[in-house]
Amino acid sequence: MHDHQNYNLLLIVLSYAVSVLGSFTALQLAVMIPLTRTRRQRVAAVLTAGAVMGVGAIWSMHFIAMLACDMGVQVTYDVSLTALSALMAFVACSVGLWVAASGTFSGARLVFGGVCMGFGVVSMHYVGMAAMLVAASMSYDMNIVTGSVAIAIIASIAALWLASHMRGAAQLTGSALVMGLAVCGMHYTGMAALHIYDNGGRLPAGYMDGIHGNNLGMTIFGVVVAVLAIVLVVHHLHQRRRAAIAI
Amino acid sequence: MIELEMQILSDRREGLLIELGRLVIANGFSLVRQRLAQDIQGAHLTMVVRGPTERQWLLEDAVGSHARVLGFEAATAEPDAALVTAAPLARELAPSIEPAEPFDGDVPPLPPEHADMRQIEQVLPQMALDYPRVFPWLVALEAAVPEEARQASLQLAGRRTGAWVYKRDYALGAKLSLAEALKRIALPALRDLATVEQQERQLHIRNSAMCSPKNQSGCRFFGGYLEGLLGDATDVSAVLVRHLQCRGHGADDCVLEIAA
Repeated sequence: MHDHQNYNLLLIVLSYAVSVLGSFTALQLAVMIPLTRTRRQRVAAVLTAGAVMGVGAIWSMHFIAMLACDMGVQVTYDVSLTALSALMAFVACSVGLWVAASGTFSGARLVFGGVCMGFGVVSMHYVGMAAMLVAASMSYDMNIVTGSVAIAIIASIAALWLASHMRGAAQLTGSALVMGLAVCGMHYTGMAALHIYDNGGRLPAGYMDGIHGNNLGMTIFGVVVAVLAIVLVVHHLHQRRRAAIAI
Repeated sequence: MIELEMQILSDRREGLLIELGRLVIANGFSLVRQRLAQDIQGAHLTMVVRGPTERQWLLEDAVGSHARVLGFEAATAEPDAALVTAAPLARELAPSIEPAEPFDGDVPPLPPEHADMRQIEQVLPQMALDYPRVFPWLVALEAAVPEEARQASLQLAGRRTGAWVYKRDYALGAKLSLAEALKRIALPALRDLATVEQQERQLHIRNSAMCSPKNQSGCRFFGGYLEGLLGDATDVSAVLVRHLQCRGHGADDCVLEIAA
């Protein structure tokens, strides 16, 4: 039984930094949703924010953290389940941000939005874990899994509350730091729930066709560069919007 | 049945209407209308009440001897005449004070059409460039407009400035409750312009440079500023700014109360 995981500390820090950067960008887009004037603008803002949060903050963080983790066995990832995990995060975050940022703000909207975002984090993580192809058997401690779900939902609600209620620097920086905690807290708690058992070196079907760590690293690099580019574009849009407002 | 008009002076306004309103009801009368205003002498409450004639003296005795009442006068009010006399009564009662709460025949809000739009349009772009150093431009505006248009012009300039600041710096995010909007938007925005403290729904502006014994333009500007700032920020249909105290009338601070 390999029941221990060794982590690369630098990659752990990097995983948190990426989740905060992605959350910052996504929430910056999300707070602009109420200002959109047409349906098309609104849909575009929601989908962009959902993609940045789901793929940029959550999915990238997850796989950087997986690269940081040495479980003592060779790992590849099933392509379709890996893609599905990104899609689930994207859809759940889009719905959550759309609900939280549309219409008049209310506690019910906040909770629903937070639950959707939390579900996005959780579903991405566990589907992403199911995509792991290893010569071992895996099981979970359900008590710790429940704790990871609670962390994701509660911290997501807190992040959305901060993004919608605060103003000034604390609004986006504070909410992004908290959302980063939601994503990382859920992930590392979820990993603590994982038990890996030796199955005698039997490789699962499709192991050789799975995505290897090097390819995954390049994919994550591409996503992070895209998020940084979106940060610059959103910042530029903010400046233009601010300058265009006449007294 | 009789209708009475009672004029009451008290040391402070907080809770006055509630306490005396209960007394009125306990004596079998109903409150027809009221007006509460504040000046340096204290709080002036005018109540028009209706009830049984035989209980008139009991009510007057109860109100006159109430611990909160420093001065008290009562007179019979004709039901039809009360509406007509409300405005002169207000002027007589408080010749130099700000209106405090809405009341039939109360001092009407300053209509924006009385503002000098030409001067406002000239000053506002300059003010935006220099923001938050607005006071030199407000002094210039104050001097440039005719006296009868002064307060309306300052109020409208404040409203436009407040709305601009909101859109520029505070529009991103959810609409807030009035209390949260005061704390997270009005207070930080006003602190760019003046020294301000919040006491529940009141904002106390210290040493307002625009308010002097002969003018209250600063309060008009700040009142308009808050209306513009909070108009789109909250989930309430309309934001009302009441001018409770002004340095121009001898108070230590200018006090504005914000209500929905």
